[in-house]
Amino acid sequence: MKKSTIAGSVAMIATVGLLAGCAGGGSGEESSDSNTLKVAAFEGGYGADMYAEVVEAYKKVNPDVEIELTTSKTLAQELTPQVAAGDYPDVVILGQGAEEGFTEGFIRDRGLEDLTSVLDETVPGEDVTLGEKLTDGIVGNLNTNPYGDDSVYLLPMYASPTGLVYNQGLFDEKGWEVPTTWDEFFALGDTAKAEGISLFTYPTAGYLDSYFFALLSSVGGDDFYRDVVTYEQDVWEQPEAREALEMTATLLTDYTASTTVGWANGQDFTKNQQTILEDKVLFMPNGTWIANEMKDAPRADGFTWGLAPVPAAEEGGDRYLTTFVENAWVPKEATNKDAAKEFIAFLYSDEAAAIFAETGAVQPITGLADTLSGDSAQFYAAYNEPNVQALVGSFAATEPVPGVDLKATLFDTANSIINGTVTLDQWQDQVNEASNKLSAAAE
Amino acid sequence: MSRRTSALARGRGRFIFLCLAPAFALYVVFMVIPTVDVFRMSLFQWTGFSGTPTFIGLDNFVALAGDQQFLRSMQNTVLLLVVVTIVTMAGALIVAALLMNPKLKARSFFRFVLYLPSVLSIVVVAAIFSAVYDQENGLLNNFLGTVGLGGLTQVWLGNESVIMYSIALAMLWQSLGYYVLLYMAGMSSIPAEVYEAASIDGSGPVRTFFGITLPLVWSTLRTTLTFFIISSINLAFVLVRALTGGGPNGSSDVLLNYMYGQAYTNSSYGYGMAIGVVIFVFSFVLALIINRATKREVYQF
Repeated sequence: MKKSTIAGSVAMIATVGLLAGCAGGGSGEESSDSNTLKVAAFEGGYGADMYAEVVEAYKKVNPDVEIELTTSKTLAQELTPQVAAGDYPDVVILGQGAEEGFTEGFIRDRGLEDLTSVLDETVPGEDVTLGEKLTDGIVGNLNTNPYGDDSVYLLPMYASPTGLVYNQGLFDEKGWEVPTTWDEFFALGDTAKAEGISLFTYPTAGYLDSYFFALLSSVGGDDFYRDVVTYEQDVWEQPEAREALEMTATLLTDYTASTTVGWANGQDFTKNQQTILEDKVLFMPNGTWIANEMKDAPRADGFTWGLAPVPAAEEGGDRYLTTFVENAWVPKEATNKDAAKEFIAFLYSDEAAAIFAETGAVQPITGLADTLSGDSAQFYAAYNEPNVQALVGSFAATEPVPGVDLKATLFDTANSIINGTVTLDQWQDQVNEASNKLSAAAE
Repeated sequence: MSRRTSALARGRGRFIFLCLAPAFALYVVFMVIPTVDVFRMSLFQWTGFSGTPTFIGLDNFVALAGDQQFLRSMQNTVLLLVVVTIVTMAGALIVAALLMNPKLKARSFFRFVLYLPSVLSIVVVAAIFSAVYDQENGLLNNFLGTVGLGGLTQVWLGNESVIMYSIALAMLWQSLGYYVLLYMAGMSSIPAEVYEAASIDGSGPVRTFFGITLPLVWSTLRTTLTFFIISSINLAFVLVRALTGGGPNGSSDVLLNYMYGQAYTNSSYGYGMAIGVVIFVFSFVLALIINRATKREVYQF
């Protein structure tokens, strides 16, 4: 009896001690210095080292602030449970359009701090305001002003043109011209097929967003594009939408590399990208990060990166370069919002922009694009072509509708079009249905 | 005499209660309360990040009934349940029966090789099978080509009608060893005299297997059936997430993956919880039915 009582009480004390230890660790973390700025940044194709360097540079300008930097390739997955537990970072550098939809969740919930005042703040270490530095049109669109008014909630980071990436060296070698119309595009596809080269591929179906936005704008114009991204009722039944889907369906079934679908997933998408480097495929939708992402990959002799806008429907028509921006934003429930705003303003200083530009991440500040060299210069040269415009912004934010994912319906179905399991008519109907359901929920 | 016994019994009872209390408390906090919460949240609409949940009653379930992708993920999960259970169970039983044979050489080597995949993390399994199923350089397609079955090569991860079977194969590979070991443990408790009696009666290996081995490991089999249900639902989620991400256009979506997608990516937390309720009820009812259907008199020997 005595022995078992002692054993029992020892076991109880051990259990209680274990639980107490857990509790102690938790509260210890919470009582950290309130002057610590928590910055969480997504590590994408540009890498994560540049953030550490920028933090160091900021400390020289503003030595009073302690900065706690977290970078991760799976940032959304790590922040989700943190945020659910009430632990919000002060600055988040993560864009929209990722699968997890982390930033979009905050937009839908109106959980973002209004950053309009940051445009009037002086950039730390310089004597101009942020608003004066940013290039025209990069704020004021649905990406930065998600509620369609004049309030800016997300600031644009790393404006990068996206479009059809190709090997300029191959085109020079074969004497081929980059096509500007769809007729030229398909004709080139036939020529290449004769040599065993496919016209088109995509890393994963999600990359078709840049392609589609440019295509819809070029086929239907700015007004039509605006109707599409604001879910105008039955907009996908319009003839312009039908034309866009039809051309894409032809592209997918007749001109896309047969290896595309098998590699279009998280594990193998770089293999699809590799086919461009090996001259097996001509074009893929991608962005400027591709140069850094594939920097260690073997490639054909004389390979140089080229970027072209999606072709226009007719000769002389407007072509668009979907310009992707990542975002820097502040959660409304963050603790150090003023320090956060100052840090964000610093991200656009010449010093920070130079650090970012080393890996090809170009801040949308005036005059920077002209100072680029190497791969970056080739990518940004596309803007200087005739009739080529930048296009910013994606689908408008709405209340979430259970079971409806317009992006998946529009983009992922490409895999099924290639496989032959979904027809063009079915595709159009599915997209229209999804868009109409979101229209009902749009703010 | 009776007073001493009751004091002893009371003291023992108190001790048992004290020992069980912490475990029971943990169980309630981490298992019972979240389950109740899933049922509760399924009646609300919430983005999961900020803001307050709105009560919408059974609207989520009504929406579920008409959701094509939910039905597809349900079909995929049931397919995996049936295929993986039957093939793994049959395979594991046969392999276990073979490995019980004392005349087989290098038994422990085979056991080791078979059990190794069960120890691997599912993400590692996904990476391995991603390489095996590669359409150009993968092990499987190259093997088929070498053996002369080149006509059978597929785009294992790109062909929508084949992809669920690719996943089933990966799950089979991962879990076979674990069940082989379980069945071997069950079979080793059968005394040798029973087998001797059977061989005296002139029973061949197949007759012995179905007549003696199978009925005597039946209780182990019933337990593993419940494991199969759980693993088909759980492991399929992790495997699909790591290997195909839901497959070409959602063709390899499974219930838990769809639930995760709706709850987080689509910011419809209440809807995701409604899917969770369906999964819970489904697996509970299924386990109950299987338990009843396989009930047999326990054989004593």
